[in-house]
Amino acid sequence: MNNLCCGPGYASPADAINAPSEKLLYTIAIYTGTGIQKPDYLATVDVDPDSHTYSQVIHRLEMPGIGDELHHMGWNACSSCHDDNSMSRKYLILPGVRSNNLHIVDTATDPKAPKLYKVIEGAEIKSKVDLSGPHTVHCLGSEIIISFLGDAKGEAPGGYLHLDKDFNIIGRWENSMGDIKFGYDFWYQPRHNIMVSSEWAAPNTFMPGFDLEEVGHLKYGRELHFWDFEKRKPIESFYLGEDGLVPLEVKFHHNPDSTHGFCGAALSTNVIHWWKDNDEKWQWEKVIDIENEMHPEWPIPLPGVMSAILVSMDDKYLYLNNWLHGDMRQYDITDPHKPVLTGQVFLGGLLGKAPKVNGVEVAGGPQMFQLSLDGKRLYVTTSLFSTWDNQFYPEIREKGGVMIQIDCDPVNGGMKVNPNFMVNFGQEPNGPSRCHEARYPGGDCTSDIWL
Amino acid sequence: MTKYKVKISNRGNTEYEVDDKRPILDELRKHGVDLPYGCKYGGCITCAAKLTAGNIDQRRQVALNNWQLDNGYVILCVARARSDITLEIGTESHDKLYRNPFLEPLKSYQLKADIASKEDT
Repeated sequence: MNNLCCGPGYASPADAINAPSEKLLYTIAIYTGTGIQKPDYLATVDVDPDSHTYSQVIHRLEMPGIGDELHHMGWNACSSCHDDNSMSRKYLILPGVRSNNLHIVDTATDPKAPKLYKVIEGAEIKSKVDLSGPHTVHCLGSEIIISFLGDAKGEAPGGYLHLDKDFNIIGRWENSMGDIKFGYDFWYQPRHNIMVSSEWAAPNTFMPGFDLEEVGHLKYGRELHFWDFEKRKPIESFYLGEDGLVPLEVKFHHNPDSTHGFCGAALSTNVIHWWKDNDEKWQWEKVIDIENEMHPEWPIPLPGVMSAILVSMDDKYLYLNNWLHGDMRQYDITDPHKPVLTGQVFLGGLLGKAPKVNGVEVAGGPQMFQLSLDGKRLYVTTSLFSTWDNQFYPEIREKGGVMIQIDCDPVNGGMKVNPNFMVNFGQEPNGPSRCHEARYPGGDCTSDIWL
Repeated sequence: MTKYKVKISNRGNTEYEVDDKRPILDELRKHGVDLPYGCKYGGCITCAAKLTAGNIDQRRQVALNNWQLDNGYVILCVARARSDITLEIGTESHDKLYRNPFLEPLKSYQLKADIASKEDT
C-alpha cells in the first residue's frame, strides 16, 4: 500500500480489500420494545479467532436514556477523506430512530471500550431543522449527512440533516425534496455527481408496526430518486410499481467510476439494478425476483422481505436476505444485468428450514449483515425493528437476537455457516436484547465511498 | 385543573393522582412509575398501555389503528385522563397490540383512522 497521505480509509477499493482482517466489530443492541427497561447499547464483539474471548461481547456502552431504538450507524469519516490528513475515522454516529437523539461515540481512544463523546439531542434537531426518524449516516469529505424519514411530527418525507465535522448542526442538507414522498437510504457516487435515495414510509406509519393494507393505501414507498449531488436536489424519479414495493437499501458499486447500483425492494423481494446508458440516461431494471412462498398454515403467500443488500468491496458479489423466508443469498454480479445465484444458507425464518444454528434456537431471520473488507466473512444479525420483530417473531422477546458468521468464498462463490462463531444476545446480563447493524473500526463495505 | 386517579391493575392496583392537562406518561413517570416510551409525540407505540376502565382523550395519537383502539390501547405519551381510569402497563399488556399481518389481515374498517372505511364502525 502506498500511503503518502494519512487520512482515514484507503486509497482505493483494492487497497481496502488488502487491509488487515477485522479483530473487533461493533453492533448496536436494543431493549426498546422488549419489555426490559434498560438503555440500548453499543456492543463490542471480539471477532479475532486467536483471542480467548472470540465470539463474545467484550464491552457494552449504554446510551444515556432509554427508548432510543438504535438502528443503523455511520462513521464520521471514510475513504472519501483519504487525502485529508486532518481527518480520522474516530467517531461512530448512533442515531435513535424513536428518540431522535444522535449519539457520537469515540471508538479510537480505546477501540475495545468505546466512549460516549457527545449527544445531539433529538429536541434540538426537531426545533432547528424540523426532522425526526434518523436512518442512514454518510460522510461527504469532512462533513456528515443523515437521512431523516419524517418532520418533527413524524410525517413524511423528512429530509437530510447536515453536520459539520465537529458535529454542529449546519442545517438541512438538501436544497429541495422535489416531489419525493418518502425517505430512507441513500448512497452517492461523486465522480458522476449523483446520489440515489429510496423510500420506506413516514415514521408514524412504520414505527408502530407493519399493516400490509397500508401498502395498498400508498403509505409505503415504491420509487427511487436520482439527485444532482452538488445542487442537492432530485432530478429524476423512477416509479417502480409492483416490482419495487418498499425499496430500502441502496448501494452503488465501490468502484468510483461505475454508474451501476442496486436497491432491494423489501416487500416485492426484488433487486432493482440501475446504470447510466451510452446516451447518458439513467436506466433501471429488475434483476432478481424472489418468489413468495406458501406457509403451510397461512392464508396469504409469504414474501421474503429483503430488508438489506450489500455489495462486496470488489463489486463481484451481492448479498441479500429474506427475513421471513430465513435465507441469506450470494449472487455473482460480474454482469450486473444478469446476477447468478452462487450461495444460500438458512438461519431461522418462518418456514422452519433452520430453527437452530450452531445449537442455538434462532428467533427472527437473517436481517442485517456486514461483510469483511476481503469478502470472506459475513456477519449476520436477526432483528429488524422492535415493533416488526414483535409482530412476526414474538418469541424474540424471550430468545433475543443472535449474530452468526458465514464463511464466503470470494473466488468461486459459496457460503457456509462458521461452526465456531455464535454471539447469543439472549444471554446478555440485563436480559435478551436484539443486535442489529455491525461496523468494523477500519471501515466496512457499507460505508466507504471514493471521490 | 382537575385531578383523576390512575389505577395500575398489573402493579398491585397501585393508584396515582394525575393532572388532566398533562400526558399520563409524564404524570406517572413523575410519580416514579417505570414505563417504556419512545417518540413522545404519539407516533411510535412504544408507550402503549391497555385501558380497562374509565375515559381518556388521545386525539393526538397517530400510531394506533382501529383494531388496536378497539382492543383498548392508549398511547400514554399524548393521552390525558378524563375520569378515574384503570390501566395495564408495559409489554405484558401488549398481547393484542401486535398481529402478524399475513396471518390476520385487517378489515378495511380496522385500519388507521385516516384510511379506514366507515362501514361497521
